[in-house]
Amino acid sequence: MEAIYKLLVKIIDSYASLRDKINKGWKEKNSSRIREWKLMSYAFSKSKIGVLGGILVFIEVVLAIVGPIIAWEPYWVYPVINNPDLKLLPPCIPPWCTGGPLLGTDEWGRDLLSITLVGVRISFIISILVVLFGAPLGIILGLVAGYKGGVIDEIIMRLTDIFMAFPALVLAIAFAAVLPERLRLLLESNTMLRDFLAALLGLRVNEYPQIASLLAVWIAMILVWWPGYARIVRGSVLSAKEQTFVEAAKVLGLSTRRILFKHILPNIISPIIVMMTFDIATAALFAATLSFLGLGPQEPVPELGFIISKAGNWFPHRSYHIVTFVGIVLLIIALGWNLLGDALRDILDPRTRRAIEFTEGGEKK
Amino acid sequence: MGLGRFLARRVATFIPTIIGVLFITYLIAYAIPADPVRAWVGEKLMNREALEEIRAKYKFDAPWYEQFAFLVTSLLTGNLEDPIQHRNIFDELFYRFPITVEVAIMGFIFTAIIGIPLGFIAALKKDSIVDFFVRIFALVGSSLPAFVLYYFLILFLFTYMHTTVLAGMPFPSQTCIASISSLPSKIPVIGHIVSAIGSVPMFGAMMCGEWGVVADTFRRLYLPGLALGLLDGGLIARIVRNSLLDSLSQEYIQYAKARGLRKRRIWMHALKNASIPVVTVLGTLFGGLLSGAIVAETVFNIPGLGRYIYNAITRLNFPAIIGGTFLVAIVYVTVNLIVDIIYAVLDPRIRY
Repeated sequence: MEAIYKLLVKIIDSYASLRDKINKGWKEKNSSRIREWKLMSYAFSKSKIGVLGGILVFIEVVLAIVGPIIAWEPYWVYPVINNPDLKLLPPCIPPWCTGGPLLGTDEWGRDLLSITLVGVRISFIISILVVLFGAPLGIILGLVAGYKGGVIDEIIMRLTDIFMAFPALVLAIAFAAVLPERLRLLLESNTMLRDFLAALLGLRVNEYPQIASLLAVWIAMILVWWPGYARIVRGSVLSAKEQTFVEAAKVLGLSTRRILFKHILPNIISPIIVMMTFDIATAALFAATLSFLGLGPQEPVPELGFIISKAGNWFPHRSYHIVTFVGIVLLIIALGWNLLGDALRDILDPRTRRAIEFTEGGEKK
Repeated sequence: MGLGRFLARRVATFIPTIIGVLFITYLIAYAIPADPVRAWVGEKLMNREALEEIRAKYKFDAPWYEQFAFLVTSLLTGNLEDPIQHRNIFDELFYRFPITVEVAIMGFIFTAIIGIPLGFIAALKKDSIVDFFVRIFALVGSSLPAFVLYYFLILFLFTYMHTTVLAGMPFPSQTCIASISSLPSKIPVIGHIVSAIGSVPMFGAMMCGEWGVVADTFRRLYLPGLALGLLDGGLIARIVRNSLLDSLSQEYIQYAKARGLRKRRIWMHALKNASIPVVTVLGTLFGGLLSGAIVAETVFNIPGLGRYIYNAITRLNFPAIIGGTFLVAIVYVTVNLIVDIIYAVLDPRIRY
């Protein structure tokens, strides 16, 4: 735990001196902020579930980055064509069995571990990008609605109501079902976007129809995701804008944009960050659910939910290992982010953070 | 704002929301680049006349506002036809919706009986092993992919232990259904309500005293209910625990203790305030379940509303999509409205 605290402090220090080099005097100006960050890292290093979640997330990120690179079998080659015996091999764990693939094979004879590594990258990219695009969209709409009030507020909130009147999965299925055709045409004409997305997702460029359906899943989930943020941000803006610091900023004649992003947003951002962390977990499971239902990419792209849905045809006798292993991978991905979110909720809230600092052996610098 | 005005405002936003839902559904349906008519007709009848006939029937060549008006009016007058099944949309929907209601009730019961007692124990024995277990249970429940849990429940309780069935849906006998559906003509208002409740197979069977059917329904549907309960029970337990602890530490409880009120009175005060967030979450959960637990219905092979909408979407059957989302949105918004009303009644401070 001590090591994690030291590591985080080192990262904060080097970040601060970097900012200081670009912008002379940044360090002194923001010394209270830097101390706050160090206190946060102290509280984080004291939180067992936070550290566990952080480690799980770190493993996921590393696997997502190197996964498609170290995947030793090309996912688009079906060994079963040349060797039918390779279909759905059971796991082969060294002391009891040698020579076979460690976790068995899927229905096309591909090494399960190898294709799962490709799937982790897809799951990670989709879940991160959904939250990174969906949350700001909701935050901006919520800020505007809460701050401006009146007709704009009414329009944005009615739109939010409409999107929230659908169950999320129904709306996402509908978008994910109709979008791929259009996106495929887009990817056909725009080769640069196609190459970029293929590299990002760790897939071959030839798979662009599947990339189009991944893109459709992504867009569908963003459209489902923003209303929650809009509603929460609007609520907190409504209470924040009555406070004196906003009044003061107005009196000083600051622009609306500056008040919104420099004064109101930093004061309401902590619960939003916690929500985003939880939502990365939800988004990963949501994307897996969509492709489990058959709406994501098809063969040969090894999306995690799709692997399970294919294995379901042989469940339990021939594919128990696939459902178990990929299920555990999805569980660990979601669990990591959920644990991290649970810890961040305590750490980002100044009241509970002080409680951690004082009960766990005094304040540290 | 008084309770009356609050309710009036909430109800007034109801209709624009539903219209907006229909419009977005329509946009989604018409964003399909493929020609849905070809998909509906099928290969056998694929000829120019049949295509033209269906195009004219669903006003495919008309401008978008006419199409939308046509869809909405025929939906509201109950004349919209499913182009693949050739049945009225509402016949399809009202065959499936009662089944979804059954699944939702099962899921709700299991969630409540798993979540609420666990939450109570965790709150009473704070920082004990039970409390820790509840925290882990909630985290795993929200991190586990639902379909993996469904598969393993099926493996243990169906494949190995044969405690359930995964095909068919139990319905009450024909005479029972006939007697329930004839109720509205005998008793004016109450008859309608009773027959609406009785259209849910489980309740219909209860009304006729056909307990065998009720038992069969339980046997058929307890597994999806248990699965939904395991996924959401931890979350409910956490919310029960936190809100109970929160309300027990409030000043009015200290005051009640200082006044020497009986334990039962103190608990009544604490429980009333602790129930507010629990009611909200349970209500939203029930609304979500009523609009079709699509994954559960797919894995457990239940012919419910969610599966119908899912099939409609994947087969480009957009009159069914519009009808289905219309019903789902109405149910969802209504449940949320009821939750808001309960919320406002339980907590007089809340008005927005």
